[in-house]
Amino acid sequence: MLFLAEPAHAAAIPTIKEPMLWAILLAPLVGWGLIVLSFRKVPGIAGYIAIAAVGTACALSYFALFNAIDADGGIRQYTHEWYTAGKLTVPLGVRLDGLTAVMLVVVTTVSTLVQIYSTGYMSGDPGYGRYFAHMCLFTTSMLGLVLADNLFQIFIFWELVGLSSYLLIGFWFHKPSAAAAAKKAFIVTRIGDLGLLAGMLLIWTKGGTFDVAGIQELAESGHLEAWVITWFALGIFAGAAGKSAQFPLQVWLPDAMEGPTPVSALIHAATMVAAGVYLVARFFPVFEVSTDAREVVAWIGAITAIMAACIAMVQTDFKRVLAYSTISQLGYMMLALGALGYVAAIFHLFTHAFFKALLFLGSGSVNHSTNTFDMRKMGGLRQHMPVTFWTFVIGSLSLSGIFPLAGFWSKDEILLDAWRENTGLWACAFVVAFMTAFYMFRAIFLTFYGEYKGGEPVDHHDPDNHFHGDPKHPHESPWNMKGPLIVLAVPSIAAGWFAYDHMFADLINGALPAVHEHGSTFSWGIALSSSAVAIAGIGLAWAIYYKQYVTSKSIRDGFAPFAIVFENKFYMDKLYEDLIVRNILQKGWNRLLQLNDIYVIDGLLNGGARVTRQLSTRLRVIQTGQLQTYGLGVAAGVIVLVLAVYTANPL
Amino acid sequence: MDLTIVTFLPVVAAAIIMLLPQQQEQNAKYVALLFALAGLAYSLVLFAGFDIHASGYQLVENNKWVDIGQFELRYHLGVDGLSMPLVLLTTFLTVAAVLVSFSIKLRPRLYFAMLMLLSTSVIGVFVSVDFMLFFLFWELELFPMFLLIAIWGSGRKEYSATKFVLYTIAGSAFMLLGILALAFSANTFDIEVLSQSEIKDAIFPLSWVFLFLFIGFAVKLPIVPLHTWLPDAHGDAPTAVSVMLAGVLLKMGGYGLIRMCVSILPATADDYSVWLAGIGAFSVLYGAFVTLRQTDVKRLIAYSSVSHMGLVLLGIGAMGKESMMGATYQMLAHGVVTGMLFTSVGLMYERTHTREIARLGGLARQMPLIATGLVFAGFASLGLPALAGFVAEVTVFLGSFERYEWAVLLSLGGVVLSAGYILWTMQRTMFGPVRHDWDGLTDAKAWWEHAVVLGLAASVILLGVYPALMMDMIGPALDPIVQRLPA
Repeated sequence: MLFLAEPAHAAAIPTIKEPMLWAILLAPLVGWGLIVLSFRKVPGIAGYIAIAAVGTACALSYFALFNAIDADGGIRQYTHEWYTAGKLTVPLGVRLDGLTAVMLVVVTTVSTLVQIYSTGYMSGDPGYGRYFAHMCLFTTSMLGLVLADNLFQIFIFWELVGLSSYLLIGFWFHKPSAAAAAKKAFIVTRIGDLGLLAGMLLIWTKGGTFDVAGIQELAESGHLEAWVITWFALGIFAGAAGKSAQFPLQVWLPDAMEGPTPVSALIHAATMVAAGVYLVARFFPVFEVSTDAREVVAWIGAITAIMAACIAMVQTDFKRVLAYSTISQLGYMMLALGALGYVAAIFHLFTHAFFKALLFLGSGSVNHSTNTFDMRKMGGLRQHMPVTFWTFVIGSLSLSGIFPLAGFWSKDEILLDAWRENTGLWACAFVVAFMTAFYMFRAIFLTFYGEYKGGEPVDHHDPDNHFHGDPKHPHESPWNMKGPLIVLAVPSIAAGWFAYDHMFADLINGALPAVHEHGSTFSWGIALSSSAVAIAGIGLAWAIYYKQYVTSKSIRDGFAPFAIVFENKFYMDKLYEDLIVRNILQKGWNRLLQLNDIYVIDGLLNGGARVTRQLSTRLRVIQTGQLQTYGLGVAAGVIVLVLAVYTANPL
Repeated sequence: MDLTIVTFLPVVAAAIIMLLPQQQEQNAKYVALLFALAGLAYSLVLFAGFDIHASGYQLVENNKWVDIGQFELRYHLGVDGLSMPLVLLTTFLTVAAVLVSFSIKLRPRLYFAMLMLLSTSVIGVFVSVDFMLFFLFWELELFPMFLLIAIWGSGRKEYSATKFVLYTIAGSAFMLLGILALAFSANTFDIEVLSQSEIKDAIFPLSWVFLFLFIGFAVKLPIVPLHTWLPDAHGDAPTAVSVMLAGVLLKMGGYGLIRMCVSILPATADDYSVWLAGIGAFSVLYGAFVTLRQTDVKRLIAYSSVSHMGLVLLGIGAMGKESMMGATYQMLAHGVVTGMLFTSVGLMYERTHTREIARLGGLARQMPLIATGLVFAGFASLGLPALAGFVAEVTVFLGSFERYEWAVLLSLGGVVLSAGYILWTMQRTMFGPVRHDWDGLTDAKAWWEHAVVLGLAASVILLGVYPALMMDMIGPALDPIVQRLPA
């Protein structure tokens, strides 16, 4: 199968060929192979191999993007066959369209910068080589996910990004908290994957295809019954909710911060967690058809965005503020998709990837100098780490939606779509915009202003600690960490300008079989109100945490019941882990089944054996011949059975 | 002669091993390895020469064996696309079993002779086209298994060995009844003939015959509630026996269900299909829940096998070509994956001498290679794509969904639960802080340890990325079976 969209105008650059698309995916895989072969002998080169491999994929991705722009996002697809079983044919193929191209560029750009940053952040770690091998594996899986032309293949790479996420969250596996967090991330996301798998089973059984284009057409043609479409859409969304940490499966993402910080930046902020948003967008025509499914997506997104923003406001851990912020922003994107804001959601995914990666890498830079993420041990870092400080402020302003930074444009599109769809959704998004600005600047004032509180002393007895320098005297990070911060600050400022003249919208819309436009993408009312609310959030943070007109403690006490609920993450971890897993399952249900095995099944058997033994002792007295114990068992069994059968069923 | 050679090559090895003089007894393993490798090579040649487009038996040997009145027992061997992969699996895992036994010091001659005899009996089951010959090989396997567990096992080894034998024999008693009933009805023991004729009620109604055969195979598979022998046998068996038991012995049950129950009694099987699918889904969930309660690593893997074999039954129960292909693939995948799990745990146990999860922990530091092997096999076991288990699971699910979507949806629960017990086990045994009890333990160093781990890992990847290799062979073999099923 081959679909070639006619380019809108004469191609200015050479056309991308199929092998190059596969090369995007294979380059990091080759890197992985080389690192696995070499890291025991020459661990030091692992970082360079990773940079070269991911950098190659990155260059090819930009080539693919320009091709897609030339074709106005039109579709190019190459499908092969992986295996067949009866009437089941499992395809294997790549698809390049506007959506793919944007995702490719996001993934490879952030990944390349993160690899460079990691050569600084991870230097001296005993697992240096293993780290880059996992990173390459992740990049391969993520690229496979966005290049896939069918749902089956999406599912394959969907699971593989789950694996690399597991390996990297648990990278410092000797820490019990890291090992637990890795397990939790994999299992919780897999609960969502059940929905995705069930959706895949349903659509194949009813529609007979895995093909992305085929499923989109099925949805638009109206050949499938409405319930099939709705349940398929909900299944897809369940998978998306797991990976993108949407309520009620959001609990794994904050714990995932146990992984090294560059991992958090790449996987748990910019790319993998956005895969859920990508997945819903990929099957957007299905959601367009099913109003029920779309409402679920919108409201789950809204609930997630608000809940996570609430928790972010009370965090004392620098990195966890960012983690909850990520959950909240992913909720924002889901809300947009539910409100028919397909372009807005992907646009926000695009800008968010850059400024959130920047913020995470900034937090890593701070950690690199203070040996802690606890904001209560920081303060005053502005003078010591000017590059980290200024880039962090740029990222925060972008996230808060301040004109003319990237986040302003994408956030406004979401607010506008929400406003058009449902005022309630808009109100949720509006409140979250305020909270976002507040918690980000709360973190900035706590970390970079005031007096430095000394950081965390280095534990020199821990062989895994590779902290260089002295937390007492914080210092700016080396060039290979500063560099990526500065580079990422550029799209954090300017990525929003991509929306100019519908360029981004045309690119993204090219991936859909039919585009249902609705109005302009800018409104003065939305822009002014959201800017006002963001500035108000920043102002409030300034008043409390910089000027300290009121102490944060008195505010906390004033809102005590809320603060306690927020600090306990709405008690959801307790509900899942303590009540459901530990008590209901392990101590209750599972134990019951285990006792059934021991006492009922084996009890019956051993009881039966005892009876047989006694019977055979008596039989032995009667009979003189010697029979082997087992032979006797067989004979007796057969005789009894035959007799029973004849009595019940005489011939 | 080809199949006779592959089947009896291990017996020749056993004879040579037993004839080794006392002072040569440590060389038993090399003889065993040589013959196991020869068997693997031979079956690979047969596999490569197999005509995947044909649906009947190939490499047929059909000779007169015993005459008893109206019946004729024949020495009838053959392989089709269903049995050929299982033969290859057996010869492959035999090599693995020999390699993991290289550290056996106690009575090596008897040990390796029994291991070889076990291999012959399992291959014999897969290549027999005469039901009595099949039954003979089926029963032959008990003898080496009993000795291997009872002599070289650990813990309550005599209890476990006896339990294993009694359970199987009880099942066999039913199976024998079923075989006799079939023979009285069709006047033959020949499986090929039986699978092509209309079987009529003879001594028993057909539903009874089906049930008898089913019980015989279900014990072996095993299904819940006929499974409690498995954790005991695995828990106390030496590593190589666990590899063989989980890797190929359980598959005799799944193979028998397709080969006998479904293909000889298609209409009856179809009547009972809802029960098969239901019991399959039930076993998947039950096995997974109980796995989560296990405190001994080997018993934990054993219970996970109950769960995984439930999928085989689900796929067979759905009676579709796709679902049965998935079930067959699941047998192959589970064979190599669980073989690798038991191998890795065995290597660990040789060093720590405990399988109590509570006493383990942090081992990834002391033995990174073994830990990598265990994590790799663990991910294969929880169905990670690109590794063997995924293709099997998803094919079973896709193939069964149309007919029994409720059973599939229930079984999906196993997908999350398996992630739970596998990752929890990894966390508690391999990760976390280093335990100083295990200081000074070494990683896998010997060549045979490396060879077995790498070989199994390679097979897990091969089955995971190149399913067509086996699927194209299994498919045509199932066509005649599926065609006889009621539409």
